[in-house]
Amino acid sequence: MSLSDKSNEEIGRLLAEYGIKHGPIVGSTRTLYEKKLEKAMEKAPAKASSDKTYYREEEEEITYITYQSPVTHETYAQADMLKRRGKAQPDEDEESDRATEPPIRITKRTANHSAVRSKEPVRKSGSGAWKAIRLLLLLAVLAAVLYYAYCRVINNEESTFSINVNSGEN
Amino acid sequence: MSTTSQKHRDFVGEPMGDKPVTALSGIGEILGKKLEQQGFDKASVVLGQFLLLRKDSEMFTEWLKDASGANSRQAGSCAQCLREWCDAFL
Repeated sequence: MSLSDKSNEEIGRLLAEYGIKHGPIVGSTRTLYEKKLEKAMEKAPAKASSDKTYYREEEEEITYITYQSPVTHETYAQADMLKRRGKAQPDEDEESDRATEPPIRITKRTANHSAVRSKEPVRKSGSGAWKAIRLLLLLAVLAAVLYYAYCRVINNEESTFSINVNSGEN
Repeated sequence: MSTTSQKHRDFVGEPMGDKPVTALSGIGEILGKKLEQQGFDKASVVLGQFLLLRKDSEMFTEWLKDASGANSRQAGSCAQCLREWCDAFL
C-alpha cells in the first residue's frame, strides 16, 4: 500500500479518517499530505487498538479479580485439600472440620484480594482470553469436586451414623 | 511579541502585485532561488500555496521547510507575513 499510488480523492479520504484538516490535494500539496499520512499511520494503529485492548483487558481482569482471582492461586490448594478430605472421610469423621473450613477459606480469599489485585493487572498483555478460560475451567473443576465431596458426605452420614450407633452399643 | 522586520512591514503594507518571492519576510536569496526552481517565482504564487493549504500556518511552514530548506524561524516568519497580508487584503 504505497500512498503515491493512490488517487487524490483517496488521499483526501484517508486524511479525513485520521482527522487531518486539509485543503485541495493538487500537485504542489500532495507530497506534504502524503508525509502527514505516513506519520499519522505510524502513530494511529499502535495507539487506537492498544488503548482499547488495554481498557478491555483491564476491565476483564478487574471483574475476575473481584469474583474469583484468588481462585487461581488457591484453587489448586483447595482442590487438593478437598480431595484429600474426600478420601479421608470414610475413615474419619471430619464433618465438623469441614463445616469450619469454608469460613476460613472465605476470609483467606478476601485477605488475598489486595495482594493478587496488584499482581494481576501487571500480568496483563494478550493472554486475557486464555486466563478467562482457565479460570472458568478451574471453577468448574472446583464445583464438581465440591459437589462430589458433598455427596459423599451425605452418603457417609448415613453409613457412619449407623456404624457409630453400632459401635456405641457395643 | 511583535518582532516584525522592515521587510515584513513593507510587504504587509500594500498589495503584493508582482513582487518577487524574495520580497517575502524570511525568504532571502538562497531560499528564493530554491523556490524559483520549483516554479514559485513570484510572491503571489507562494500566496497561492498558502491559500491552498487553507492558510494553516503549521502546514505551510512544513511545506516551506520541505520545498526550500528554510528553518523554523524563516518559515514561521514567512507564514506570519502572508497571514497578515491576507488579513489586510484578501
